[in-house]
Amino acid sequence: MPFEDIVAEFARRRDKALEMGGPDKLARRRAAGHLNARERLDLLLDPGSLAESGMFAAAIRPEQRERTPADGKIAGFGRIDGRAVAVVANDFTVLGASSSVINMKKIRHVKEVAETRGLPLILLGESSGARMPDRMGAAGRAMLGQDPAEYRRLRRTPWVSALLGPCYGSSTWYACMSDCVVMRKGATMAVASPRVTSLAINQPIEPEELGGWRLHAETTGLVDVVADTDEAALAAVKRFLSYLPSHHGEPPPMAPVPPEADAASARILDLLPESRKAVYDVRRIVRAIVDPESLFELKPRFGRSAMTGLARLAGRSIGIIANNPLYKGGAIDVDACRKITSFLVLCDSFNLPIVILVDQPGFLIGLEGEKQGAPGRIINWMNALSLVTMPRIAIILRKSYGQAYLNMGGGRNSDEVACWPSADLGFMEPAVGVNVLYGVREEDDPERYQALVAELSRDTSAWALAELYEAQAVIDPRDTRAFLAATLDTHVLRLTGGVGQHLMANWPTSY
Amino acid sequence: MAEIRVKSEISGSVWKIEVKIGDRVDEDTPLVILESMKMEIPLLAPEAGVVREIRVREGDPIAEGEIAVILE
Repeated sequence: MPFEDIVAEFARRRDKALEMGGPDKLARRRAAGHLNARERLDLLLDPGSLAESGMFAAAIRPEQRERTPADGKIAGFGRIDGRAVAVVANDFTVLGASSSVINMKKIRHVKEVAETRGLPLILLGESSGARMPDRMGAAGRAMLGQDPAEYRRLRRTPWVSALLGPCYGSSTWYACMSDCVVMRKGATMAVASPRVTSLAINQPIEPEELGGWRLHAETTGLVDVVADTDEAALAAVKRFLSYLPSHHGEPPPMAPVPPEADAASARILDLLPESRKAVYDVRRIVRAIVDPESLFELKPRFGRSAMTGLARLAGRSIGIIANNPLYKGGAIDVDACRKITSFLVLCDSFNLPIVILVDQPGFLIGLEGEKQGAPGRIINWMNALSLVTMPRIAIILRKSYGQAYLNMGGGRNSDEVACWPSADLGFMEPAVGVNVLYGVREEDDPERYQALVAELSRDTSAWALAELYEAQAVIDPRDTRAFLAATLDTHVLRLTGGVGQHLMANWPTSY
Repeated sequence: MAEIRVKSEISGSVWKIEVKIGDRVDEDTPLVILESMKMEIPLLAPEAGVVREIRVREGDPIAEGEIAVILE
């Protein structure tokens, strides 16, 4: 056979690269129930679609070359559901997937191709941080900072990160630049490892406490989706991308409308309590409106008095923001403000129309909120809402009180406002307002109190708002799905092929 | 087994206690119903567990961050 030696050498080198950090390390991972980097890519990408970039890259230090296949970060291009993507998967079995001169070149290249050719970028995180001794001394500094745009985000294409193990260094930074972060339970994300942190502050530190899923899903809000297994995390990555366009210059893909998609709408009145005092889980109402099984909630454990999620309505990808009275009665706290602002940026940057479902008694006022800078968060949100160039449709289900009326799309802060007949518009809950405005409590003077409550409750109905043409429609709640489908269709950005102006493309990636 | 301190997320008053000591509860079971902003707002179990201690009584005022129930 001609070229026999060359072909044999190629096969030897390829097989060596595919062995990653060697059979022992791979076996230990398998025993622990974790997929390795190549298994993750197999699950993520359409079969046979990976075109690897840098399979034969290796550490720059000669003594490490033989034991650094792909230099610890497997990169390339492939397809998900037939759509092209770019991907970097950290291979923890190769020097802990530590960041090095060569593998940073790989990331930079794949990222640049994704950005300039319009491909989503997926980062499968699991890395120990900087490679030592490469980063020591002035020479170590000199390898850093050679790409001034390394940490720049302009949202030309969607980025998704999955945190699938210990994530320190690059996996953390890329997650924090991403549009969606999925975390597998048991993974950790932090600036530095528990060992380094523990030495720095001279205290023992538990990895879960330092950067576990509860911290990031409930307190920091840096994680959007939590998954129990690697497999579920990768499925969530694919699901997120299914709602988005490949890049900011095209509208999101349309999906087929499932059969019986209209059926749940008829039951919507059973989901809304008749009593004004009773609360409910707005997610049940959202699910009854959107295409069946299409709601994909983001940050469900963070700022829970508001819900944010991607969904489909009549096959069209949309973003939904809804107050959730089940938590804090729907009163909007600082975390909910942060969550909604980041969601507005996401939707507008990738050409998703926004539906806003309103039932809120106002911002949650109090010392805690003020300490967290509530006024700044409220105005960030208003600024974002004013910069949205995709269609915004607001539906007022029940209450919309106070300044938050504007944040939730009141007036010209949305393109269309519709009310359910149960809508209630005012400056605050009348029973509280009487005390605030007139200093009258029910126990002091029941008769006068009731008269004043009636006075404050006057002209707060859906009809009153519609007469002023501040609500363009009053709809039967059971018609909400049909109303939204028609209104979203009216508001398609025909003049630009469904593409918005992306005025917040360079906004922060966390708030 | 670890104890789970269930804190009120809002200020208000305790309207109704829905569980008793020893009850086994699932995640999202209403433990206590609070009244705040003229609404009846449930305090939900953050994860499954057994009610070990109830620190509030019906009618009590409750502050944001105050522990109402301890599960284990």
